[in-house]
Amino acid sequence: MNEVNLTELGIKDSRDLLKRKQISATELTKAYIQNIEESSKLNAFIEKTFDKALIQASQADKIIGTESEKSLCGIPVGIKDLFCCKGVKTQAASDILDNFVPPYESTVTQKLWNEQAIMLGKLNMDEFAMGSSNETSTYGPAINPWRSSNCNDFLTPGGSSGGSSAAVAANLCAGATGTDTGGSIRQPAAFTGTVGLKPTYGRCSRWGIIAFASSFDQAGPITKNVTDNAIMLKAMSGFDPLDSTSAKIEVPDYEKELGKDIKGLRVGIAKEYSLQKGDSAAKKKLEQTILLLKNMGVELVDVSLPHTEFALPTYYVLAPAEASSNLARYDGVRYGHRAKLDTNDSILELYEKTRSEGFGTEVKRRILIGTYVLSSGYYDAYYKRAQKVRNLIKNDFDKVFKKVDLILTPTTPTAAFPLGSKGTQDPVEMYMNDIFTVPANLAGIPALSLPVGLDESGLPLGIQLIGDYWQEPLLLNTAFNLENALAFENRPKNWWA
Amino acid sequence: MEIDTETTLKIARLSRIKITDAESDDIQKDLNRIVEFVKKLGEIDISGVSEFNFGETYLKDMREDSIIINDNTDDVLKNTKNKNQDFFTVPKIVE
Repeated sequence: MNEVNLTELGIKDSRDLLKRKQISATELTKAYIQNIEESSKLNAFIEKTFDKALIQASQADKIIGTESEKSLCGIPVGIKDLFCCKGVKTQAASDILDNFVPPYESTVTQKLWNEQAIMLGKLNMDEFAMGSSNETSTYGPAINPWRSSNCNDFLTPGGSSGGSSAAVAANLCAGATGTDTGGSIRQPAAFTGTVGLKPTYGRCSRWGIIAFASSFDQAGPITKNVTDNAIMLKAMSGFDPLDSTSAKIEVPDYEKELGKDIKGLRVGIAKEYSLQKGDSAAKKKLEQTILLLKNMGVELVDVSLPHTEFALPTYYVLAPAEASSNLARYDGVRYGHRAKLDTNDSILELYEKTRSEGFGTEVKRRILIGTYVLSSGYYDAYYKRAQKVRNLIKNDFDKVFKKVDLILTPTTPTAAFPLGSKGTQDPVEMYMNDIFTVPANLAGIPALSLPVGLDESGLPLGIQLIGDYWQEPLLLNTAFNLENALAFENRPKNWWA
Repeated sequence: MEIDTETTLKIARLSRIKITDAESDDIQKDLNRIVEFVKKLGEIDISGVSEFNFGETYLKDMREDSIIINDNTDDVLKNTKNKNQDFFTVPKIVE
């Protein structure tokens, strides 16, 4: 099969060729390994597991065509560094987990290996998933394979799952895992022309995923297209006795849902998700999408989510509060970094010096603000109040989903921005990136980002579909219909190899 | 300024993060920017509103509270140099 570039295929097309024995898993894995070796400029892979990958590939080649073959047999994937993988260095892109090698495997990655996927390595991310540009990673940022036609600045691949989005867009893996606490799957997908889905809270087990904000964190796939996303989501989902917040709800065959007619579907346009004057490209793409949906017989309905303006402030109280509690475990005692101590230093100095040296600036900032909003005297004014506002935001969605099936919004106001251009003076400037993605995390509902085209400087833009609880099949099928109508086939030009 | 120097140092102490005097000014400034941003929550009338919860879908399938023995002490201890036999070592905590 020399006529096709194997690494452009993605999950479904590779699976189909593997099944027909037109390619081998070893051949496919070697093609990805070569791409990864040639892509060091993108800084997407931070830990490579090629030996393991080639062993898995050779096993897959023996299984393909037999009764033992599973849904991802022979498909090479990349794993965000937030997922613990047994025997593979896992640091959440933080110095505090220096050289940590987990003695156990996360449930989601175990499910992928059970489906016979192949592990290429760990992907770059913002430290502890706290960031929107990949710049808080201890490894330095992953670089967006897309470049503006106007300048050669390195652009962010988004955050926090920026290594995942960059790797999928640059053909370094067939699909990648991401996690999404406030937009960390969808914003990177929008910035790289890929498809990213944050499932309903509880769809995927959080066990073995390094915790950031436990009531928001959800794992999900980043892929080249909607079909690949459906296949990978099915493999990642399901109840897990080790995570009591994972839901005992049957996992549908998402791929089978694709291609159904969406005539008569009701899609809401929320007036609160409006774009500014400067965001004309995103506005144009949204309008084009609305037109396409109308042509498919979809009914567009104006809706209102009145508490949207409070979503970001609510998130930036609750997520840091949960983070300050989750990250209390990093004390330098059992694993990771331990500060060098002076002779008379006590255990308190061990904690304080280790945490001061091991955490990066943004992570420290969030631990500090989280500690503040939970501290005596401020708890009611910030934390408790934010929990109530979170309920109001959820109620807004509940009411709207009585009228419509889905909500359509832009994923981000603009395309990818240059590294180093945001949040250097004021951290809040970077937080504003999550303005359209955070509400779905607050309510715990699923949302998907789909590439819709390029802006005037040739950079991809995404639109977001938000659904009610457990409506992933409807999200994926609507995205599938739109994907066919949009025929977005642009890929970044390879400047990095 | 909502958060003064004394409060900054107190939060740092509670967080077990050492901050130097040189750092504390910048940290204080950043924290105040965030507090200013989230103050918007004060504009909403929340009387009669209950706190968020995920409802009945979750937490209804708790597993048995039983002991699971993982024989992985060696793997766990591989992650530190600070050990003595099967124990982690720390600075002296008892006089």
